[in-house]
Amino acid sequence: MLLTEQTDEVLMALVSKGDLEVLKVLFDRHHLHVFNFLYKMCGDKQLSEDLTQDVFYKVIKYRSTYNNGKFISWLFTIARNGLKTHFSRNHNYHDPLEGLTEQPSENAVGQEEYSQLHRALSLLETSDREVLVLHKLQEIRYPELAEILGSTPGAIKTKVSRALKKLKEIYYQKL
Amino acid sequence: MNDKEKHIISLLPEYLEGALDAAKAEQVKKYLANSEVVSKEHKAYEALLEAFKKEEQLLPSKEFKGKFLAMLENEKKQQTGTIPIAIKQVKRRPNVFSGALRIAAGLALLIGAFAIGHFTANQRFSQELTVVENEAQKAKHIAVISLLENQSASKRIQGVQYIEEFSTPDTTIIDALVDRLLEDEHTNVRLSAMEALSRFRNSERVKRAFIQALKTEKDPSIQIAIIQNLVQMQEKKAIGPMQDLLEQEGTQPFIKEEITNALPKII
Repeated sequence: MLLTEQTDEVLMALVSKGDLEVLKVLFDRHHLHVFNFLYKMCGDKQLSEDLTQDVFYKVIKYRSTYNNGKFISWLFTIARNGLKTHFSRNHNYHDPLEGLTEQPSENAVGQEEYSQLHRALSLLETSDREVLVLHKLQEIRYPELAEILGSTPGAIKTKVSRALKKLKEIYYQKL
Repeated sequence: MNDKEKHIISLLPEYLEGALDAAKAEQVKKYLANSEVVSKEHKAYEALLEAFKKEEQLLPSKEFKGKFLAMLENEKKQQTGTIPIAIKQVKRRPNVFSGALRIAAGLALLIGAFAIGHFTANQRFSQELTVVENEAQKAKHIAVISLLENQSASKRIQGVQYIEEFSTPDTTIIDALVDRLLEDEHTNVRLSAMEALSRFRNSERVKRAFIQALKTEKDPSIQIAIIQNLVQMQEKKAIGPMQDLLEQEGTQPFIKEEITNALPKII
């Protein structure tokens, strides 16, 4: 079987044993998802690129701590923590991530055109936006999402449902 | 909108995901057919979910992958180990309550069973991993051989450099390297092959290749490298070809000097 046909978990186990070359396969498979998750969370393309690079750098740095669990959960946990750290370090310039009602950042204004859905998502609370972006856009299933957010699949399902309801109100108000 | 309709509307997100049980789903379907307000909300949710499906993934800049590859190469070069995250050890007090021994024994059994299950799962994973590692090794092997036979000299050098990833290369790789050392038209490729082969000096095949190369090689820098390797190997069979080289008129004076110094070192 080719490396590209292996599961994320098998590939990451190889990386954690020191075969860094294999990370290229995982990068090709997931970088767009990580990048778009970060982009939907912060609205800044350049920042999302930098943070995505940092996610894969941390995968290398902390590879020995990978415990053969779901790779996607581990990867997005790193991405999420990276984003939080960025906002908490730069709180003079940005709002902290928690409670951030995101507006496209100054860097981004004029560079990118936002879809109606993107604008509606940006008006949600961070935690609601996060579950919807991860579940509906990046198609992360409830069990993995629960691992990422430190909750249970049942609680996450309810949260997604409530967040979708809030989004619907905003989405149609802004039409 | 009555309370029942409100309740049905609250179920719509899960209904659209197919996450409701059959009884609730049936209830929603009934309302969808009969209630205008529920049907309208349903359409609104459907359109919203459609917007999620249609939302395009943004592509990063063209330089993005290049930056990742550069970072990866850099990390591969300085591969010196990883930083483990410290895990705090929690000390537990022994349970000294009387009668608790039975509970402890029960717990031990439970933990034992879990540990066996966990161990079996890990073992299966390790076996799977070994198979993949072997396959990865095979894939690298094929890649190296094809690089060594590539038309481009730089690709051939790249192939030689990849040999470093093999702790114990097999005979086909050694043979391919020997071919490069003896046959390649580019000096840099021959020199790289010689450097790669010098890691396997104990191999008889490599010793023979070096002696053969000493007879045929015309580039002085490679000649000197071969002589130095043969001295380190203490290869007595090299004395004859070295003396031949010493007597040849075309041999560069500094090569002759290198041989003159090298011969007494091969005891």
